Amino acid sequence: MWTIYRKELLELARDRKTFVFTILIPIFALPLIFGGFGYLSTTMFRHAREAELTYAIFGKQYAPQLAARFAAETGFKEIALADPAAIKGAIAAEHIKFALVIPAGFEAALRGERQASVALHYNNAAAVDITRKRVMAVIHAQNNALRLDALQALNLSPEQLRFTLAPITLDEHTTADQREQTGALVGGFLPYILLTVCLMAAMYPAIDSGAGEKERGTLETLLLAPVSRGAIVLAKFLVLFTVGLTSALLMVASMGLLLLLGGHPINHELSQLVRAIGVADLALVALMLVPTAALFASVLLAISVYAKSYKEAAGLISPLIIVTILPTLVPLLPGVELNSWWAMVPLSNVSLAMRELVKGTMDYRLLVPILLSSTASAGLLLAWCRWWFNREQVLFRN
Amino acid sequence: MIEVMGLAKRFPLPSRRASSIAAPHHADDERGHDGWFHAVRDVSFRCAPGEVLGLLGPNGAGKTTTLRLLSTVLKPDAGQIIADGVDLLRHPLVARRRIGFLSGTTGLYGRLTARENVEYFGRLHGMRAADLQQRCDELFDQLQMHEFADRRADQLSSGMKQKCSIARTVVHRPHIVILDEPTTGLDVMSARILLDFIASYKALGVPLIFSTHQLHEVDKLCDRVCIIDRGRTAFHGGLDELRRLGGSADLYDAFVGVIGRDG
Repeated sequence: MWTIYRKELLELARDRKTFVFTILIPIFALPLIFGGFGYLSTTMFRHAREAELTYAIFGKQYAPQLAARFAAETGFKEIALADPAAIKGAIAAEHIKFALVIPAGFEAALRGERQASVALHYNNAAAVDITRKRVMAVIHAQNNALRLDALQALNLSPEQLRFTLAPITLDEHTTADQREQTGALVGGFLPYILLTVCLMAAMYPAIDSGAGEKERGTLETLLLAPVSRGAIVLAKFLVLFTVGLTSALLMVASMGLLLLLGGHPINHELSQLVRAIGVADLALVALMLVPTAALFASVLLAISVYAKSYKEAAGLISPLIIVTILPTLVPLLPGVELNSWWAMVPLSNVSLAMRELVKGTMDYRLLVPILLSSTASAGLLLAWCRWWFNREQVLFRN
Repeated sequence: MIEVMGLAKRFPLPSRRASSIAAPHHADDERGHDGWFHAVRDVSFRCAPGEVLGLLGPNGAGKTTTLRLLSTVLKPDAGQIIADGVDLLRHPLVARRRIGFLSGTTGLYGRLTARENVEYFGRLHGMRAADLQQRCDELFDQLQMHEFADRRADQLSSGMKQKCSIARTVVHRPHIVILDEPTTGLDVMSARILLDFIASYKALGVPLIFSTHQLHEVDKLCDRVCIIDRGRTAFHGGLDELRRLGGSADLYDAFVGVIGRDG
C-alpha cells in the first residue's frame, strides 16, 4: 500500500498543475485575493461616499430653502437641465446622478403645516444604494430644521423638545469584546474559504488517480498487481487526504502569518484577532480540518473511480462542490449556534466550530461529538468507496 | 501449463432505453436476455509451457472478457482456470503473481520515468530492492532500454513505450503471459518489438496467450488457436486442423469458414 502511496505522491509532485493548486494558490494567491479584495472594497466604498454627486433640480423657486441646502452640501454639484423630460436620458448618460422635482405649492404646503413631497429620480439598480442614502441625509437634515422650527413655535423647553422628538432613546452596551465581534464576521466565512481550498486542492489529484488511471489504461494493470483492492483504495485515499489537508493547513499558516506580521496596513482589527486567537485555538482549527479532508478525499475518490474519463469526473465533481459548500455556509445563517445537535452534522459542525474558535467562545466539550461524527462519516464514505472499487460494473464501465 | 474450462461471465444490461442507445448491436445478439448480457458462455482452452495460443474471434465475441477473467480482474460466474495445478479463481492473489498481462490499451504513468514505471510494478509484486535492480538491468539490456530509462514516459516514442510496457509486464518473472490485442494500433516497428518479445518468451518455455485480429501473426507465432464466437469456443486446435476444418489453406478463409459454419 505504501508503495502506491509513495508513487502517487511522487507523480503529483512532478505535476506542475497540482503543485500550483496545492501549494501556490493557498499560500499566495488566496490570501492575496482576499486581502486585495478587502482593500479594494474599502476604498471603493470610501470613494463612493465621497464622490461628487451631480444632480438637476426643477421647481427651485417653490422650495428655495431646500435648494439652498443641496447647493451648500459638499459633494453635490448642480447641473442645469432644460426640461424634466430630459431627466431619464441624462441619468442614463451619467450627466447627473439624480434629479429632484419640486411641485408647485411646496413651500405653501409647508407654511400651511401640511406635508409636502419632493420627487427623486435616480437609478436604483445598484447593489449598494449610496445615492439615495446621501440624498436622504440632506432631506433628513432639512426635516430636522423644519421640525425644530415647528416645535419652537409651540414654546417648549429644550427638555420637552428632546422628549417630543424622541421619547425613548436606546443606549447600547455590547457584551462582546473586540475579538468576538470581528471573530463572528471572520469566523463566518473562514470555514467557507478553508473547506473550499481543501476540496479544490484534492480535486485535481482525485480526478487523476481514479478516472485518470482508467483513461490512461493503467488501472487495469494496477488491479492485476497482487495487492488487494482495499489497499489500493486506502493508498489513493491517503494521497488525496494528504494533499487536501496540506493545502488547507498551508493556507491557515499563510493567512495567519500574513495578518500577524503585515496585518496592520490591511486591516488592523483582523491582525489583532489573529493575535488574540493564539496558537492553541489555531491548532484546533487545523484539527477540524483533518476529518474534513478525509471526508472530501473519500467522496472525491468515489466519484473519480466511478467516472469513465477526466471529463466525466470533472462534470460529476462540479455539483459536488455546490453540495459541499452549502453546509459550510450554515454559520452565516442567523440564529444557528453550535450545540450538540449541530455538532453531529458533518461539515456544518466543523464550520460552526471554526467560527466559535475564532470568536473565542468555543465549548471545548463539543469537540468530541464533532470529531466523532466527522470521522465516522469519513469512515463510512471510505467504506463505500472500497465497496464501489470492488464492483466490476464501476471499474469497467466501458 | 494453463487450462481453462467452461468459463462463463454475464454482465447486467443497462436499462432497456439506455441500451438501445448505447449498444444497439446488443439488440440482435442472442446473448442478451433477462436483463443480462452473457458475454462469455462457454470458453475452454489450454496452453502448455513453451506454447503460444492465439485467441481469435470477431469484435465483441468475448475475447477481452475471457482474458480479463484469466487475469482475475473479473470474476467468472462459472468455469475453472488451473495454472500449474493451482486453481486461480480460488487464489486470485497467487494468480496475479504468476500472470503477466498486457493489453493494447495499457498505458504508462506519464510523469514517472521508464525505469520508475517498471520498478513500481516490481515493487507491487513484492520484489526486493536488490532483486528488482538486477531484474530491471537484465530486462533493460534485453530490450535495449538503457538510453531512455531515465526519461519520463510521456516523452517516449511509441516504440519506447511499447518496450517499457513489455518490461513492466514481465518484471516479476510471470509463469504465464497474457496479451490482449497487443499489436492493435501499433506502428510496424512497435509491433515488431512485441512480436520479437513473444518469440523470445516462447523460447523460455512460458505459456503465452494472446488475442489478435492479425492472422499473419497467428501464422507466424501460434502453435494453437482458440476461436471464440458469441461467447463460445468455436474452435480449439492446431493451425493445420483449423485449415482443414475451415476448408482452406489460407488462414483468413479458414477463419471465416469456421465462424460461418457455426452461425
